[in-house]
Amino acid sequence: MGAAMKRLILRKLIVDERNELFDAQGMRCLEFASDFSRIREYTATVLADCPAAFREGNLLEQQLSEIVKNGVKHGNRNDPGKRLRVWFDMRKRARFIVEDEGEGFKDLEAWNDFFRKRQTALFEEDFDAFLSLASYRGPRSDETDGGNSLIAALEYWNGGMIFNEAKNKVGVVRWFTGGSTEA
Amino acid sequence: MRGNAVFLYIGLMEWLMSDPDDHGFENVIISGDCDLYAAPAFAKAMQSRIAAGARKLRMDFTEVNYLDSTGVGAIIRILQDSRRTGCELRFRGVGGSPRKVLRMSNILALMEEDAPLQRAGEAIPQWERP
Repeated sequence: MGAAMKRLILRKLIVDERNELFDAQGMRCLEFASDFSRIREYTATVLADCPAAFREGNLLEQQLSEIVKNGVKHGNRNDPGKRLRVWFDMRKRARFIVEDEGEGFKDLEAWNDFFRKRQTALFEEDFDAFLSLASYRGPRSDETDGGNSLIAALEYWNGGMIFNEAKNKVGVVRWFTGGSTEA
Repeated sequence: MRGNAVFLYIGLMEWLMSDPDDHGFENVIISGDCDLYAAPAFAKAMQSRIAAGARKLRMDFTEVNYLDSTGVGAIIRILQDSRRTGCELRFRGVGGSPRKVLRMSNILALMEEDAPLQRAGEAIPQWERP
């Protein structure tokens, strides 16, 4: 048998208004003001009763914080008059719905195109090209944006990461096996 | 560490820079949370150092417990600048969830790493293992 053939597997952000990830029945909900300085505090509040096995150190906090940050900063543009709602359910798995009051993630398709080029460069081991594509820069990106939160998110949320049609609401799920999904 | 150390503090993240060691590396000892509040200032400080002519930098993340996408973005900027200027950039002690985040972001493979410092007597959880 020859060596296993390398395959390029491309994930992408998906829009599906009627996806079951948006069914909030039985989920708890908290609402927050759009205060950038309190993003990690908001996340900690949502995770106050989270089982220790789901936390994986602070990985769950970090990944949820990215979604909260995207809603507050990019969705609501830090407008204190706009609210962020977080539904959560941590029975058997970590599941969240986060909705902002902004105009939606208009760059979603551009981001998918960026991600395809980035992962292709990585697959082809073109590291100079990859490094130049390492961070997404959209029309509204500023110098403090990491530009990579969705890249890790696509891997971390192993039960799905789905946007609604308006692209101002995202549903995510992470499943755990024995408290860890580490391969 | 020796020489004129400079102590900087931004939020919950700290870093300490040393004069070059015997191998010519300026060691940057980082601790705390490399997050959306602190990482931009960290990136600027390191980019300034590279722009000022640093030739060898080693960043020690042993005491960094939290790294988010802004922190990853800071590392990317530093990697980009070091590659552009020919500065040799090495990392040490990247573990725990910061390592996992860097791996999920596909950045870990671009980082030249030195052997981590062993945390004596401490059991490392399965999810945290490299």
